Amino acid sequence: MNQSKIICFLTLLSVTSLGVMAQNNFQPYSQMGIGQLDEGYYNRTSGLGETGIGYRSNRFLITNNPASFSGLANQYFTMETAIRGTFISYSGTPVQPAGTQSADITFRKLVMGIKAAKHWGTSIGLVPVSTENYEFNVPYFIQGSNQAVSNHFYSYHGSVNKAFWANSYEFFHHLSLGVDAGYVFGDLNQKDILQSTANGASFTSTSNDIYLQNLYLTYGLQLYGRIGKHLEYVIGGVYSQKSALLASPNKQVLNPDSVTIQNFQNPDHYLYLPNSYGGGLSITYNQKYTWLADYRYSDWNGVQALNSYPGQDYAIVSSERASMGFEVSKKKNLYNSTVELSYFQSGVYYSNSYLAVNGRQLRDMGVSLGIGVNSLKSPLAYNIVFQYGIRGTTDNNLIRENYMNLSFILNFGAVWFTKGRKFD
Amino acid sequence: MTIHNPTKKLLFFLSFFLTALFILSACQKQPALGDFGNSYIDDNKSAQIVVVDTATIDVSTTFVDSVSTAGTGYLMVGSYNDDWLGKVTSRSFFQVAPPPSLPAIDPRIDTYDSIGMIFFFRPGSPYYGDTTQYQTYVVNQVDTLMELPPFNNGWFSSYLLPTGPDLGSTSVRIEPNRPVSNGTIASNTSQGTGDTVRIRLDDQLGQTIYNMVYNKSDTVKNSTKWLRWFHGLSLSPGAGAPANIINGIKDSCIMRIYYRENALFSTEKFIDFEFTNKNVQYNYVTTDRTGKPIAGLNRPTQTVQPPPLTPSAQIGHAGYVQSMEGLNVKLTFPYLNAIALRRDFIGLLRAQLIVRPVPGSFSQIWRLPPQVGIFTTDQHNQLGAPLPSLGSGGAQTGSLIQDYFNPLNTVYTYDVTNFVASQLINPSPAARQTGLMLAILPPAENSAFNRLIVADQSYPVTQRITLTVYYISLFPHN
Repeated sequence: MNQSKIICFLTLLSVTSLGVMAQNNFQPYSQMGIGQLDEGYYNRTSGLGETGIGYRSNRFLITNNPASFSGLANQYFTMETAIRGTFISYSGTPVQPAGTQSADITFRKLVMGIKAAKHWGTSIGLVPVSTENYEFNVPYFIQGSNQAVSNHFYSYHGSVNKAFWANSYEFFHHLSLGVDAGYVFGDLNQKDILQSTANGASFTSTSNDIYLQNLYLTYGLQLYGRIGKHLEYVIGGVYSQKSALLASPNKQVLNPDSVTIQNFQNPDHYLYLPNSYGGGLSITYNQKYTWLADYRYSDWNGVQALNSYPGQDYAIVSSERASMGFEVSKKKNLYNSTVELSYFQSGVYYSNSYLAVNGRQLRDMGVSLGIGVNSLKSPLAYNIVFQYGIRGTTDNNLIRENYMNLSFILNFGAVWFTKGRKFD
Repeated sequence: MTIHNPTKKLLFFLSFFLTALFILSACQKQPALGDFGNSYIDDNKSAQIVVVDTATIDVSTTFVDSVSTAGTGYLMVGSYNDDWLGKVTSRSFFQVAPPPSLPAIDPRIDTYDSIGMIFFFRPGSPYYGDTTQYQTYVVNQVDTLMELPPFNNGWFSSYLLPTGPDLGSTSVRIEPNRPVSNGTIASNTSQGTGDTVRIRLDDQLGQTIYNMVYNKSDTVKNSTKWLRWFHGLSLSPGAGAPANIINGIKDSCIMRIYYRENALFSTEKFIDFEFTNKNVQYNYVTTDRTGKPIAGLNRPTQTVQPPPLTPSAQIGHAGYVQSMEGLNVKLTFPYLNAIALRRDFIGLLRAQLIVRPVPGSFSQIWRLPPQVGIFTTDQHNQLGAPLPSLGSGGAQTGSLIQDYFNPLNTVYTYDVTNFVASQLINPSPAARQTGLMLAILPPAENSAFNRLIVADQSYPVTQRITLTVYYISLFPHN
């Protein structure tokens, strides 16, 4: 199979994956803002609590920082894909005994990259930005009647994704600069179906769609080097520039026969993604032990006045996230080079999200464990990450989600453009 | 399977993961989080359902001065006094024919005995009124040819034929639909002969016909000549106070001549003149509405004109449905299109018409029609096409819910979505006269006297006719 066939296949895979990303567990807060932001990178750093702004790898795609791609091995092509299984247990006053848990498995990303030149690493991919997945029923008294009862069935389904092309260039062997040019696109959909409480038949349904699109640029920097004979360090920073996503709202009302009786497009407006800053650090000892720490801050307060998000009675506030990780890498010398065989990771994280509901800013905190195996007999590497976290609170009539994620990340690597030379 | 090519390995793994993903996603289950999220929804952002049940309904009664009552299968005979419709009387005209082969009678030894009518009240036959009452039935001979007047194409309820003197009568009580032991029903008459009513006729007529038989007269050998001579018969209620019952007697009646065939032993014999010319049999219906609210009913003033309309306010704030008397109810909705002019109206969901009989106007004696049809009509006040329901598309019968214990719960219900949908956008100047007609459905339209008195909108809300319109509402600019 030649390379063009591979690219065609991967393109098809990417398009297919868009639809799959929307099939998530119920996320009760995803009806707010632009949905529930996905904090995961689903890569080598996932077992480290997604700590990786200051992390470089010669084999894996560290999408946490676009400056990292210059760290790939020369002429090395690599591709990663990930699936995640999630189990969530819900608690809080609104949760009914009839159903307190949910589980699903979803496709999360498709990313590929190559070290195109000696100092130039480049990557393209498709990753989730946010998802919207929630449904609930509300009894409804038909206006003008105190007897006829109908039912509102609200459903929120949508996703915002990012297709990106990231490039990084290494200067002076200790500095790498990178730019991630992302095209953010997606659809936030709220559907309100008025249905019969007797037989569930639809009386009318209203679909409010907001189509989003625009560029979102992230700049990255990494400084790296050695301290003495045993220590290596990487200091990283990222900055994402505020971006106005063009929001095109469309409203469609259907009658019981699913015939459109109203379809109109309201004027376009903008939903802003904020300026976001992040810094990270990693220290590696004897190429075996690595300690990492990250902090990120997103200035949602700065775009609050510019935004007009769907819904009411909640607030958009600046968010922050801090995380730390520790990794043990098992390596072996083969043919005068050091080859990593496996690695073990752990991490912790804490974040305050960009949503404040019922007067409480939602927080998310958890721990992660990861194990990775790099095959010596094939170009594949496997990474399994377990994550346990708590999102939200039961205070103020809110819902807390205790979740467990099990991610499986598959990495494929090969040396391309060898011009006949062999790398065995 | 062994895969050595690394690229193929990759594709194999990716295919495997995607397949697993799709299969496992189908197993997704979701929690029950109540209505969490409801308070975070924008107001008035989505379509709502609004119900309007205050639409003005004009109730009128149309009157047709006669209806076709021929060939219904029943001789509707009797009389009752209705508090709403007045005195209603019905009599029937019909013909009998001699048998195709006449018996050989020897006048030297055979002797004439008697002549009589035999009528049958079969189980399930129509009746209206008080079945505990005795009704007198009188038989007369029609005194003219039973032929249609010029330019008429059927026998109508308003045709009265002259008759001769009474040939015979009887007073009988008919008990319809009496349950019997095996779960079926039977009819009983007070004559003690099951469902049969017998009336002895004048012997002079009997002797005359008997003589014609043994003389082999052409009059009894040729049915055309017979009808020219005999004409027909009339069965009518006896004079005097109404017995408050009209019974539907099966048209398969018999005029029977009894005689004795004398030989070694004397044997009773008879000659049957059976019912004939089904299409000539018809019922003549008269009403006396003096002193009743319906006395103010508008009547036709010309020979040919649309059925005149009488507003409910003129006839006791009610509409009257009884097709035997030519009474139908027309409903118009003069301000219906105002619903479509509401700012938030974007589409009709459904519309339901609830027709309530006037409280006290019905009982187990004065029974409601079990089925009342609904038809479109226009400024000509004629019955149009049956109005189909939204779902089934079939003709509607009102789905009567009858509750004698709580009479206010007695309703006829119609889906009038199709009608309202067309009226909301009807640009015609005659739109206000376009409406719906309530009428008795065939075959009861000319063989049953059950009537419906419809309460107009002067009655309290829980007692009057109501149009309930459910529409889809969306406030603009959101």
